[in-house]
Amino acid sequence: MTAAAHIFRLDSVSKRYGETVALDNINLSVDRNEYVSLLGPSGFGKTVLLRTIAGFEAPDEGRIEVNGVDVSSLPAHKRGIGFVFQNFALFPHLTVADNIGFGLANRDVPAGKDEIATRVNDIIKLVGLEGLAARGVGQISGGQKQRVALARTLITEPKLILLDEPLGALDANLRGRMRNELRAIRERLGVTFLHVTGSETEALAMGDRIIVLDHGHIAQFDIPDTVYSAPATPNVAKFLNRYNVFDGSVSGTSFKTEYGDLAFTQKTKSDRPAYAVRYDRVAVDADESAGKGPSVPASFVASEYLGSSIMYFFEAMGGKVIEVEHHLSNGAPKTFDTEKSYRLRWKPEDAIVFG
Amino acid sequence: MAVPAKTSSSTAWLLIAPGVLWMTLFLVIPIAMIVYVSFWTQTTFKIEPTLTLASWQQFFGSDTYLTSLWTTVRIWLIVLAATLVIGYPTALYVGLFVKSKTLSTILLVVCVIPFWTSFLIRVLAWRPMLGKEGAINIVLQYFGIVDHPIEALLFTELSVIIGMTQIYCVFMVGPIAFMLGRIDPNIIEASRDLGAGFWRIFRKIIFPLSLPGVVVGAIFVSVMVLGEFATASALSGRKVNLLGNIIVTQVGSLKWALASVVGVILTIIMGIVVSLFLRVVDLRREL
Repeated sequence: MTAAAHIFRLDSVSKRYGETVALDNINLSVDRNEYVSLLGPSGFGKTVLLRTIAGFEAPDEGRIEVNGVDVSSLPAHKRGIGFVFQNFALFPHLTVADNIGFGLANRDVPAGKDEIATRVNDIIKLVGLEGLAARGVGQISGGQKQRVALARTLITEPKLILLDEPLGALDANLRGRMRNELRAIRERLGVTFLHVTGSETEALAMGDRIIVLDHGHIAQFDIPDTVYSAPATPNVAKFLNRYNVFDGSVSGTSFKTEYGDLAFTQKTKSDRPAYAVRYDRVAVDADESAGKGPSVPASFVASEYLGSSIMYFFEAMGGKVIEVEHHLSNGAPKTFDTEKSYRLRWKPEDAIVFG
Repeated sequence: MAVPAKTSSSTAWLLIAPGVLWMTLFLVIPIAMIVYVSFWTQTTFKIEPTLTLASWQQFFGSDTYLTSLWTTVRIWLIVLAATLVIGYPTALYVGLFVKSKTLSTILLVVCVIPFWTSFLIRVLAWRPMLGKEGAINIVLQYFGIVDHPIEALLFTELSVIIGMTQIYCVFMVGPIAFMLGRIDPNIIEASRDLGAGFWRIFRKIIFPLSLPGVVVGAIFVSVMVLGEFATASALSGRKVNLLGNIIVTQVGSLKWALASVVGVILTIIMGIVVSLFLRVVDLRREL
């Protein structure tokens, strides 16, 4: 059997709940040995997509292929897919070791006691849970639970592991450490991870490639750098939380908005016209005159210190909030007066225009 | 404001005082009194507080009373098993298989509907059901399943067991359904994803997680069945004599000392049963 290049493929997969379209004609193919993050705001079909691939939900239409085999009608455990639940879903009455060994001890043809013990031991070392094997899962920390959830799936040797917001239940400090750990474990095992997250920083940091999901369809599927610097649709730009997005319409080489005409140089094809400019490409000018190049008048509201940079929040006409990021490597933070009017400027070539 | 340790400890005493008072007045003192009276001297017409073992010797020297002790234990075990066998699948359906919370609440309320009538009516309602010319025999004969009415249905140990199982089954269903309803559906999905079939998921995940419910249900049913007398006298035609029936009879004829002996024995049996059940699971941890 020649192994297909992709680990799984979705062919025109759709799913509806009554009137709501959860998945809208999804075509997707993910390679072997790759870390893919799936980004989208909550309620946009991320979890449904994951559960459909796993086999917990059946699609209304379309085909799901795993490892080159059509699994559309197979139950979850016959698909060779691991699943890590958002709340870990550990078995509360079992020890760490029994949780991890569950899949080996309870599949159709259970493994022998010695084999289970050896493999549980190996996997405990791999995920760094040494010394906790006999503990109950109620007696370990959040990060350790996360490792048990991962180990429990890894031991069944799936080629594809689906992770549903795996870091959502952890505190910020731990989340950072687990990010590195997840990537390292995946690289050691050479399996594919599909990691669902609502956090754009997590998606950018973890994925070799990023799928951006927007209202049940795939808006963009690319490497983080491309998604970040060249979002495919206005909504992708919005989800990234790094762009000021203005509504309006394209006319020639400028973009008409209620804040004035904004110049631009290149344009991306899209259903919905929008004008986007990254937070860190916007400069604040005390001179209120329109001057040359695209600019928007706005008044200063507040600032937020982030360590390596500082975020300034401005308010334009109609209460529209415009964010400006100032990297502290580019000079000391500036101070602005609240309620005072400023002019926000950027270069036309920094603008991304959809239309 | 920091509360001084002294105040908080006296507050604690104040808080448990009503409970302690209540339990002392209505539990500790009566039980102590029963134990005390069981050693009193009983003559035909009066009872005197002269301590004697006569009543205890009477109980353990009589075949009638020992048979009744054995009948009580036997019926308790059979009813406990029957309520578990009938109640667990019901609870499984109500607590786990029914996905809608509203529907499972409705089903639980349906289980409780018989309690809207009085206990005695519920017991007596079994007579026209089980009798020689009762509903069950009419239906069986109508369909030609039996030629002659089954007489063993009423006024036998079987009718007592049927009646008690029906009356107490809901006390088994409730706690089990409650525990099953608390199981995170993701846990069951996770075990399915790891390759476990339904039977294994039930044996390794669902049953152990519902065990506290089984224990609570078993304690309810045990305590109520062991102290039963009404069902036995109404449905057995006085052929089945439980310890409870003996107490009723003895109290009726003002034989307080022997009634107290039986009461003490029943209390001890219940104490043993409850503490055995509590050893199965640590309820404080589970609930």
